[in-house]
Amino acid sequence: MAMINGGRVPGNREWETGDLMTCVIARLLKDKETVFHGVSSHMPMVAMQLAKALHAPDLVHLNIPGGVNPDSLRDVSYSSAGPELVRRGESYFSLADIFDLSMRGKLDVAFLGGVQFDAKGNVNASAIGPYKKPKVRLPGGAGSAVLIPTAKKAIIWRTKHDKRTFVEDVDFVTTRGNLWKIVTPLCVFGYKNGRVVLDAIHPNITFEQVQEATGFALKNENILVTEAPTKEELALLRRIDLKNLRSVEFK
Amino acid sequence: MSKRMGTEEAVQSFVKDGMLLTFSGNALHRAPMSFIREIVRQEKKQLEVAKTAAALDVDLLCAFGLVSTVHAGFVSYESEYGLAQHYRKAVEAGTVTGNEHACYTVICALRGAVMNVPFMPVHGLKYGDLLVENDYFMVVENPFAEAEGKPAESVTLVKTLRPDLAVIHAQVCDEDGNTIIEGAQYEDILISRAANKVIVTAETVVPAGRLIQRKDRIDIPGFLVDAVVHIPNGASPCSCEGKYEASEKDIKRFIEADNKEELHAWVDSYERKDRARNSLSYKGGLGAWR
Repeated sequence: MAMINGGRVPGNREWETGDLMTCVIARLLKDKETVFHGVSSHMPMVAMQLAKALHAPDLVHLNIPGGVNPDSLRDVSYSSAGPELVRRGESYFSLADIFDLSMRGKLDVAFLGGVQFDAKGNVNASAIGPYKKPKVRLPGGAGSAVLIPTAKKAIIWRTKHDKRTFVEDVDFVTTRGNLWKIVTPLCVFGYKNGRVVLDAIHPNITFEQVQEATGFALKNENILVTEAPTKEELALLRRIDLKNLRSVEFK
Repeated sequence: MSKRMGTEEAVQSFVKDGMLLTFSGNALHRAPMSFIREIVRQEKKQLEVAKTAAALDVDLLCAFGLVSTVHAGFVSYESEYGLAQHYRKAVEAGTVTGNEHACYTVICALRGAVMNVPFMPVHGLKYGDLLVENDYFMVVENPFAEAEGKPAESVTLVKTLRPDLAVIHAQVCDEDGNTIIEGAQYEDILISRAANKVIVTAETVVPAGRLIQRKDRIDIPGFLVDAVVHIPNGASPCSCEGKYEASEKDIKRFIEADNKEELHAWVDSYERKDRARNSLSYKGGLGAWR
């Protein structure tokens, strides 16, 4: 399916999957929230800037190098943890400060990755196969193991949606906790009563397509359809993110 | 007395097989790459490395089989550079132990060293297999709860990581080691306090006393620093704020090297620059130090 690869959606010349996911993520953020993204997190970084330009001007953008509220992503290239975020920031708040903030219950939203997710909301960013003798050693959960349990809302984004990513049981539980939403190229998952549930399906995607790409059973009830990116969102995205960093994971 | 020395001498004098090392920066930013390449040239072995988020630094040492254990929250390149393949393969082969932390537990473990206690309580690490599989985490009951009439409460402890040596690449320091880090500091201030010995490699080294007008900007006071090494481009091909960006070409050249000869050629290509300035190169005048 062209969409999963991040190309243009058939019959749609206005936006790509990366644009849609970025807008969906931006809409999840509220004004005045303290929001953190880590390394390899271009899409959430752009989404935070989009939310600030739209409905959340006083959202607090926190990041690994420590630049609070960078006013522009113009200098950013391959990294979402680069010193340019400090250069463009209004003040300095280190990574250790951000972790401590979350431990005190004052971090509203954390964006986190992972490679495998299961129906119970467990996240694996550590290893495929046994931890001590892994078949594949993954990069590691970075901050997730302390942030998913302590941030008020953990949002996961993943640009791959297939049965190897969304599984019945993860190989290793790096963490679980305050999982709130998972945004994929096909849909938005929520987390209710200890189960991952289908919240919304993206435009032009069917329930059957989502189920077919997901390794655990989903219920076809009360499912919303994601609103396509608006003209205003798309215009702002192009201005905020000249280099299309938001879609870097699709390349 | 000046603490200046050359790259070769600093590695010879301070790095011993089996040491626990920690490095400045984060991912592909301001890692002390010249110093690490000199470690490779001198083939120091069985090294341990502690860092919140590592990339080329740890991957390079793993490529030459010089590492026994990595204590880190994240070991990978970003975006188009992909996974740290040498690290990954070494863990999969069982030659390197990958002690996975949450980045914050590395910070707490280093804080343990700063405060000279054997472990630190760490909030937040409450669930999952990291607690089960790793002997450097332990869950205990809050010993004060009962006396205070509070309900029982579990507290996770992380074992202290006390680096033998921190190597920090900075923009500027003086020959006594007073060091200014411009822009993002990452965990560099913390590691300068946690490690038993500290080496600063710097883009610019100025004579003692020359930073006195900027004393409120000094991040690492000289008395904590054991040696100063003047290495312009010492973080290359990683970035150094205010000086240079990461070099995509040179990072790719490393990542695409797929045999020992090409890896050695990559390290050799930097040898002259890595070793260019030594303690005898000062010829007088501030300009001569740059």
